Amino acid sequence: MPPAPHQRPRALRTLASALPIVLAATLAALTATAEPARAIPRHYLLETAGSSVGYEADFGKDKIVGTIPVSMANLTLDFASLANCRVQVVLDAAAATANFPFAAQALRGPLVLDTARHPDIRFVSTAVHPKGDGALIDGNITIRGVTRPITLDAALYRQRGTAKGSLDRLQIRLKGTIQRDAFNADGWSSMVGNDVRIDIIADIREQG
Amino acid sequence: MPLRNGPREFGAISRAIHWLMAVGILGTSVLGIVILRLTPSLSNIWLYGLHKTIGIVLLAAVLLRLLWHWASPTPAPLDSHGAGRARLARRAHWVLYALMIAIPLIGWAGSAATGIDVIVFGRWTLPPLVPASATAAKGLMALHHWLALAMLGLVAVHVAGALSRRDGTLRRMILGRPSPENPNPTSR
Repeated sequence: MPPAPHQRPRALRTLASALPIVLAATLAALTATAEPARAIPRHYLLETAGSSVGYEADFGKDKIVGTIPVSMANLTLDFASLANCRVQVVLDAAAATANFPFAAQALRGPLVLDTARHPDIRFVSTAVHPKGDGALIDGNITIRGVTRPITLDAALYRQRGTAKGSLDRLQIRLKGTIQRDAFNADGWSSMVGNDVRIDIIADIREQG
Repeated sequence: MPLRNGPREFGAISRAIHWLMAVGILGTSVLGIVILRLTPSLSNIWLYGLHKTIGIVLLAAVLLRLLWHWASPTPAPLDSHGAGRARLARRAHWVLYALMIAIPLIGWAGSAATGIDVIVFGRWTLPPLVPASATAAKGLMALHHWLALAMLGLVAVHVAGALSRRDGTLRRMILGRPSPENPNPTSR
């Protein structure tokens, strides 16, 4: 279940007004309007200002919601072949926030993310498959030093204010669920649910 | 009503601290048990802060109490049950004092070990007593829990002992005055 609209980070709210682009079908349309010579793998880097990760976990009958800043995103997108796409995202877990201070400290503390010893959360893709208007990205996520496979739902958007057909500045959204006990991040399990739903929004700009 | 303790009676300050701490200890113990069984939500998360605040106030109160008893020594126990029981009662009291100091300190340290601040009255953040550590957090919180249960058991024995005595000990702790039937405290 996604966070309530009033609880979503700014990037999520602005996303609703962004123009959706597809990784599979829509990328083809994008590339049709771009120069043919550019239909090769393109490298993108993060624009931190509009990028964040929303997360949500059950807390009794309520939810703990918050954000984790994206500290690095490195993407290679091949608009002609999903198989050539690569996604790498690093989150600044030590700067994670929550909707109340107790939860933020518990999240960063040694019983959950243990950010003093593991300040980053890392995702590295291993394969990309088409799915409807978007894609599924298989990869490995590393949380508190434990790496597990994960599949994220992906969608690609053109950033607001960019010209139709432009591929210079995009926004990628990655959604998935992790079971925190698989990463030994199972502290406060009597209070907080095991499933953590994550929603990564990353503004990216084509490299140089 | 004298504030200071006398050779045969408890002064108002000792009695006030005793009864306020009794209410606080029972209250925060019940609260501790309740929040362990509670389904957490944003509407009751403040209870955790309340538990910590009462615990820190009780820690301050027991230190103040010891200081006050140093400045104004308490009267000796009434001599009605023999030396053996008096010695047992004295030891039980010292264990109670040790627990009243240890339990909030261990709770404070346990909270610090989880990485969560102890904030008193929602305003003052206490410094962490130990660095954040999963092992320490689990051990300290378990110790806090079991020592609190042990203290509740000892408090029950303490209450039973006070109620079973017919020498006016309870009356002296309530009213301060020595029992007319047994006005002579034992020697320490």
